[in-house]
Amino acid sequence: MPAVRPSSVSTLASSGRFGGALGPAAFTGALLTLALSGPVAGEAHADALCAIDDREREVCLEAPARRIAALSPGATELVYAAGAGEKVVAVVAFSDYPPEAKDVPSVGSHTRMDLETLVTLTPDLVIGWMTGNPPEQLETIEALGMPVFYIEPRDFEGVSGAIERLALLADTREEGERVAAEFLDGMASLAERYADAEPISVFYQVWDEPLMTINDEHLIGKVLTLCGGVNVFGELSRLVPRIDDESVLAADPEAILAGGMGEENRGWLTHWQQYPSMTAVERDNLYFVPPSLIQRPTPRLLEGSRLFCEQLERARAKR
Amino acid sequence: MITPRRSLWPPLAVLALLGLTALLVSVTLGSAALSLGDVWAVARGEGSPLARTLILDLRIPRSLSAFAVGGLLAVAGALMQVLLRNPLADPYVLGLSGGASVGALAAMLAGLGGAVITGSAFAGAFLSTLLVFGLAHGTGSWTPSRLLLTGVVVAAGWGAVITLMLAISPAERLPGMLYWLMGDLSYSRSPWPPLTLLLVICLLLMPLGRSLNVMARGPLQAAALGVNVRPLEWTIYVVASVLTATAVTTAGSIGFVGLVVPHMLRLVLGNDQRLILPACALTGGTLLVLADTLARTMIAPEQLPVGVITALLGVPTFLYLLYRSR
Repeated sequence: MPAVRPSSVSTLASSGRFGGALGPAAFTGALLTLALSGPVAGEAHADALCAIDDREREVCLEAPARRIAALSPGATELVYAAGAGEKVVAVVAFSDYPPEAKDVPSVGSHTRMDLETLVTLTPDLVIGWMTGNPPEQLETIEALGMPVFYIEPRDFEGVSGAIERLALLADTREEGERVAAEFLDGMASLAERYADAEPISVFYQVWDEPLMTINDEHLIGKVLTLCGGVNVFGELSRLVPRIDDESVLAADPEAILAGGMGEENRGWLTHWQQYPSMTAVERDNLYFVPPSLIQRPTPRLLEGSRLFCEQLERARAKR
Repeated sequence: MITPRRSLWPPLAVLALLGLTALLVSVTLGSAALSLGDVWAVARGEGSPLARTLILDLRIPRSLSAFAVGGLLAVAGALMQVLLRNPLADPYVLGLSGGASVGALAAMLAGLGGAVITGSAFAGAFLSTLLVFGLAHGTGSWTPSRLLLTGVVVAAGWGAVITLMLAISPAERLPGMLYWLMGDLSYSRSPWPPLTLLLVICLLLMPLGRSLNVMARGPLQAAALGVNVRPLEWTIYVVASVLTATAVTTAGSIGFVGLVVPHMLRLVLGNDQRLILPACALTGGTLLVLADTLARTMIAPEQLPVGVITALLGVPTFLYLLYRSR
């Protein structure tokens, strides 16, 4: 049983989520500390193929996973990032990254999987999404003898930890630890670079109808903070609050960042141009961020974060 | 009007045969291609482990659940129509599914899963039953129209609570909650509790058939003909509530079955409750088994909500029967 330590980085109740795959140094402090300590080797395990999942359960495999079913687009990306891409035998709809994942058989939507197809693909490890997959179906999958590893990364260490633990189970530790360390290092150097950046007020738009944003607890909110942005809705209690145009006008952010329906759709931003008196509109600080780079808790978040930080830097330049 | 008992059995035998056929079809069909030979091998206790898992662990429990839920809803609908003497009555009209939905959604909102959702839904349905019956009873006497009105208003109240809960729920929980509201058998667990209940209730209702026939003509006639109306009404209401609550907790709120199956059967078989109630159990079950088979195979691996299919199958059939019966 790996040691379980509280994470002082995460503001969420995530103690012990990262199990034994990360060394003690990873848990000791802020992101910067992480970067300085560099890639951390995993602790030695007596039982090499056990990992703690995000539901705090220990999942043990007798042999390294060879047939992996990833039940969310994010899980698919994480398994590929962990170096176990060729072992993926089942994905769900919208698993579009990396591109080769599109050729893997799909078991339907993540909200209701086709269990028959899943059983037919005989996975020996199923990566479940804690809040996205129906719990009944995941329980059924376990009852049928397929081990389920639940994931739900809620911060940067959650992403790297998930990659390391998946790599452990798939016996691709070298690749997994390298990717995880690269990701954490990248995030830490961004944090370092923008640690003293001037605060700038930002509104991030997740969806347009209904208008939705994120609070500071959300992974995207943490990216905003990392880039020196001040989320104008960061204090709201819900993770993904629903708001209206009026509250955005009242908050008057200096920059507006938005995703969109597709990867190249700036339609949501033009909506704000009807309010020329807003600071963000006046200074032309309306920026598009491809949603797949920022809305999935995967290593691509680093790319999305760089984009975020650059856009905020441009907004600062216009002051 | 009341047909002699010996003529009850042929239609029931035909319906039972149809039900068995539907179950066989649903066990044979699925997104994983299994031949009849594979199914037969499993039935003889052989077959590959994969085929055994598919058939014994996935398809049979789900088909039996579908049959039980369809049967429960249809019988509950038939009872409600007798109780309220209103052709528009269905198992959900008195706010039962609303109460169950609020219970289930509250459990999902709290992040609880599995058995807690089932228990919470059952508690919600039970609360709704007590509320409607207590309020309709009130200080004065209650009449079917008073009961109906109370039920409809309580249902509207639950509807508002459901909308509120959906509006304030976290985005990632929404799909699961919506699917639950649409009715979905992929959430069902063991088929045995609803199946046992269906069988027990059908057996219990058999001796009541004659009284129910009289009740369907109105409480005054029933009283004049020596039926003790008040206890009978209570019995019908409680039984229908338990049936609906069990169905809703097994598979979410699946519309349409409870309204249309009893009417369909009345158009074909006449309004003898001794025949209609068991026929409802068989036909409702058959309809839902077929609908669920379609729901999980039509665009596999994507899965459709079974409620959509029941309506798509049931509406044209019902309209045709109604048109023909003029």
